[in-house]
Amino acid sequence: MIKLSGKYILKFLQNHYEFVQDAFNYSKPDFIIDSNILEKLIEEYNISNDPKISVTKLIDVKFCRQLPTKDFKINRSYADFLQFLFDDFTLDLPQTLKERYKTIFELFTALKTEPKASKTIVLIQNIINIIDVFLNDIHRQTQRLLSDTESLKVNADEYSDLSKRLEKAVFWIDEYIEPLNKILEKGHPESFYSALVEIQKYTSEKQYIADSFKLKREYNKLYGSVVYARAELDHNLQKLTRELRPLLDRIKSDSIILSGFYHFVENVDYPENYIVPIPSPIKKTKGSTIFKEFYSEAEFFVDQFNYKTSAVYYEEQVEELEWLPDSTYFKEQLLKEDKVEDFYLWCFDALKKHTDEITLSKYFSLTNLLLEEDLIAEYKTDERITIDLKDASIKIPKVRVYERVSN
Amino acid sequence: MREYPIEHNKIVSELLDGKFIISPSPLFYTIQELEDDYTEFFIKSFNYKLNLEAEFIYLSSDEVNEKRTRDFTLFLAILSRELDYSGKNFRDKIELGSFDINETEELLRQSSKWEILEKTTVSEFDKFIKTWRSKNLIEIDGNKFKFTKAVKLFFTFAMEIAEEKLKEKTNEEKANA
Repeated sequence: MIKLSGKYILKFLQNHYEFVQDAFNYSKPDFIIDSNILEKLIEEYNISNDPKISVTKLIDVKFCRQLPTKDFKINRSYADFLQFLFDDFTLDLPQTLKERYKTIFELFTALKTEPKASKTIVLIQNIINIIDVFLNDIHRQTQRLLSDTESLKVNADEYSDLSKRLEKAVFWIDEYIEPLNKILEKGHPESFYSALVEIQKYTSEKQYIADSFKLKREYNKLYGSVVYARAELDHNLQKLTRELRPLLDRIKSDSIILSGFYHFVENVDYPENYIVPIPSPIKKTKGSTIFKEFYSEAEFFVDQFNYKTSAVYYEEQVEELEWLPDSTYFKEQLLKEDKVEDFYLWCFDALKKHTDEITLSKYFSLTNLLLEEDLIAEYKTDERITIDLKDASIKIPKVRVYERVSN
Repeated sequence: MREYPIEHNKIVSELLDGKFIISPSPLFYTIQELEDDYTEFFIKSFNYKLNLEAEFIYLSSDEVNEKRTRDFTLFLAILSRELDYSGKNFRDKIELGSFDINETEELLRQSSKWEILEKTTVSEFDKFIKTWRSKNLIEIDGNKFKFTKAVKLFFTFAMEIAEEKLKEKTNEEKANA
């Protein structure tokens, strides 16, 4: 084969459709495939397929070429076509898109000032192409983001890990949706959308007032492309803002809630790790006349005693050993008196010198001296006097006492 | 002597019962109109904070350490997890859907996290559901129950935790960079 024909390429794709799809999938997203993997794919494919395939054949049909690193790079034209064929697009960063559409402004500025008709036609054709490429880019991006987001939403295995899901949603919103929105923003003077509006305004007049029929026809084509592009963009924008953005926001906030709950459940026994205090709605307090704060403080105060066993104090029954007068001492005193006219009164007075608490028992232990053999008692009258002791009042006779004179 | 709204008695008794007042209850709008007055009233009279959210109102207190609130949060966390695992949109289901009481109990009992729940008040599920109905967090209709809008309080709690965790992570990454 000397010259590669389109039909030959199409036949190659048709004959080896499954192989091409495998190679395409392995090469994504940069369309570079490791030489070992490619060789293995060829080997496996050749086991059950005829006609066979080889690296040489792949290079012949310009499917790929080898890089100095020995990796194989899929031809750009194939890569674009295959993305379209398998409805499987790679994502370009919006910065890349932005650079591309900026050339529209430059070309349009040139168009407005170009005096030569032939150059004007070339400029118009270029603008039409760029608009087309850009529309295609936007369409690819939106489709890709939508299908990925759908799979995020239904928790496809790949994204079942919560934090990965969250990370992905945040990344897409920040890196793709937001910048894309800016590029397409209607009110922004530097957006792609306002470039289209400008061109539409300019060409809507030019298609009628241009110098020649050929020029009018070219302006008319550009006008048509721009009107179509605006409608397409509106459609895509709608998908982005009405479907994709809310969906991603939703995935983001749902994953946030789940991961917050996850942290809470894991730390449920360690309130110090909650990070955020748990909501504290009050308990039912109606009917309680006690101020809540007082109640908790009182409870706390009482609580501190709960762990101690209660102490019981018994009142000690002290057996009172009553002091009794020393009868020997008092007998000596009595004998010193030589003669006592009123023995009972003397006893009282003698005790009184030693204590104020003269009880019946103290008093009688002293009056018992009367029974001593060496003392003589004489009753002179029936007269009785009353003596008030601590625990009794007694009536006593007047008795004279003196010492018996020994024989 | 100041003038009180007609619903004053009802407002105070519902809130002191630990109930959530949920929009569009007329009580909700009365409190909303008199937000400053009621905030002061509850803080001065009871030392309770009046929380006026977009769709519900409740009293809270820092001195309250309610195990039952912890239990409710656990219940909601594990229910959300199980719904998510079974491929359902847990938030739609919780905010808008209704649950069969027996089926929900069964779903929780089959969860690997039941070992946590069984040690809480959730273990007596019927009683648990009724307790929270009395607080207006749940509505019961026959053998089904629904969450009221107040459930969002606990979603907010989870979001705040996650955001704090994210901040921690970002700071760690910055520190390691």
